[in-house]
Amino acid sequence: MEPEGPGPVTPVVFPAAGTDPAAPSAVVAMVEFHRVNKVFPNGVCALREVTLRIEPEEFVFIVGPTGTGKSTLTKMIYREELPSSGHVLVGGRDVTRMPAWQVPFLRRRVGVVFQDFKLLPRKTAWENVAFALEVTGAPGAEIDGRVGEVLEVVGLAARAGAVPGELSAGEQQRVSIARALVHRPPLLVADEPTGNLDPDTSWEIVQLLSQINLRGTTVIVTTHDKTIVDILRKRVVALEGGAVIRDQARGLYAGGH
Amino acid sequence: MPAATRSGPAAPRLAALPAARRAAARGAPYFVREGIEGFRRNGLASVAAVTITMVTLMALGVALIVASTLDQLAGGVERKLQVVVYLRDGLRSSEVEAARARLSRLPGVTQVDYVSKDDALTVFQQRVGGRVDLREVLSHNPLPASFEVAADRPARLEAIARAAAVLPQVEHASYGAETADRLLAVTRIVRLAGAVASVGLALVAVIIIVNTIRLTVFARRKEIEVMRLVGATAWFIRWPFVVEGAITGAVAGCAALVLVTGLYAWLAWATGGSLPFLPLVSPLQVALHLAWKLLLWGVLIGIGGSLLAVRRFLSL
Repeated sequence: MEPEGPGPVTPVVFPAAGTDPAAPSAVVAMVEFHRVNKVFPNGVCALREVTLRIEPEEFVFIVGPTGTGKSTLTKMIYREELPSSGHVLVGGRDVTRMPAWQVPFLRRRVGVVFQDFKLLPRKTAWENVAFALEVTGAPGAEIDGRVGEVLEVVGLAARAGAVPGELSAGEQQRVSIARALVHRPPLLVADEPTGNLDPDTSWEIVQLLSQINLRGTTVIVTTHDKTIVDILRKRVVALEGGAVIRDQARGLYAGGH
Repeated sequence: MPAATRSGPAAPRLAALPAARRAAARGAPYFVREGIEGFRRNGLASVAAVTITMVTLMALGVALIVASTLDQLAGGVERKLQVVVYLRDGLRSSEVEAARARLSRLPGVTQVDYVSKDDALTVFQQRVGGRVDLREVLSHNPLPASFEVAADRPARLEAIARAAAVLPQVEHASYGAETADRLLAVTRIVRLAGAVASVGLALVAVIIIVNTIRLTVFARRKEIEVMRLVGATAWFIRWPFVVEGAITGAVAGCAALVLVTGLYAWLAWATGGSLPFLPLVSPLQVALHLAWKLLLWGVLIGIGGSLLAVRRFLSL
């Protein structure tokens, strides 16, 4: 008689340290890229040998001109894209080998923010945020509390009843950040969050992301906004032609010292 | 131990996850709401899908009614354990008595009853009912006199009928099983034709439903994109479409039930007593008999169509 078989499979997306042989270090990295390559079917090479490690509670800018693979890189974190070769680990878990049915559970642990907000036009700010909880089957009482909470965090509690058409671009981006936070994810990925915003609004949004980071959430932001990167002096990973050409703590957009 | 201090705020918080099953159960009102919304939003396309599904179910319903009527008819005939021996017109009573004597001696015959031409007309008049007086309408009595020959067991009927048919006084001899067999053959043909027509129409209905659901997938593509990004499970995203298909099928089933039952009630009323040999069942009984079959098949066709559409047009 076997004492105990391998128990029923539970969808643990981020397991404890040391369970994955690909994560040798004692501290589990929040995100780890290991020799990741991506070649699209049309032959375009989006990422080349990207190796990258992002620790919990870090704030990282991914910078580089348009078409250097920044978006492809972020999409791999929430498994919208798979690498052609190499591995991507999120919370110590290899998402490239994750079965499809577990992907939704990964995405509840990774908040995502986009340049075009991706809000539903007929729903109010409150409903847009609540939607993220509703469609994952959260109970109604929990939804009410959490939506109010995150709208407070992004400073939009007073505008909760407005539909996206009645909100400014900056306010819409705040709603989308609130939606990304409503699952209380340990990791927030923002792909060009200021791409559609004027400089002042961009600065407000980046400050908000910075505050969220100070509350303990790991934040990864892709941008080609030089000013913001240079003022904030956070870690900067520069991509060019799909390869990491620079990875600098307290870095600048253009490098140097 | 280093993990305890360094990664305290981040990694350990990420442990337990809710069961997908619970999420689906809580989503039920959402699925129904979205399903109805999709059905309503598709307007004419939904009407087309309902109509073709309804036509399919009507073909099925008519075939079921005709087959069950024929079945009952055959059952009623077969239950009588007797051979009816029709006599030629104008026989002398001595010839009739000779025939009776011959029939009585056949193996397996237990009783021989004479039915005169007048008796036959009286019986027929009773079955037609009082609406028409046959004796006024007819210039002469067209019904033949006959012997009703009872047998001890069904296996004897064929031999008795064949022996009776060769007597000179006898016009024709028939027994229930023969008639029942012919009716059952017709029933089989009706069933087969009904099945072929229903399956063919069901395929068309499924194609139309697939197209209608595709419209909903297109109309909801932004929502679906957001749902995927915030971690809705594949089945959570699919359910509203399945509900929409089921609604299409259920509405079509109800419409088909009303139309088929109405048609039956009208036919039963219009023919009245003029088809006395048909064992007419009340329209209410027909409705009860058909209701669950038409609804079940409607919903199955609807769900089948939506699952196909979701498979083709929803990459999750």
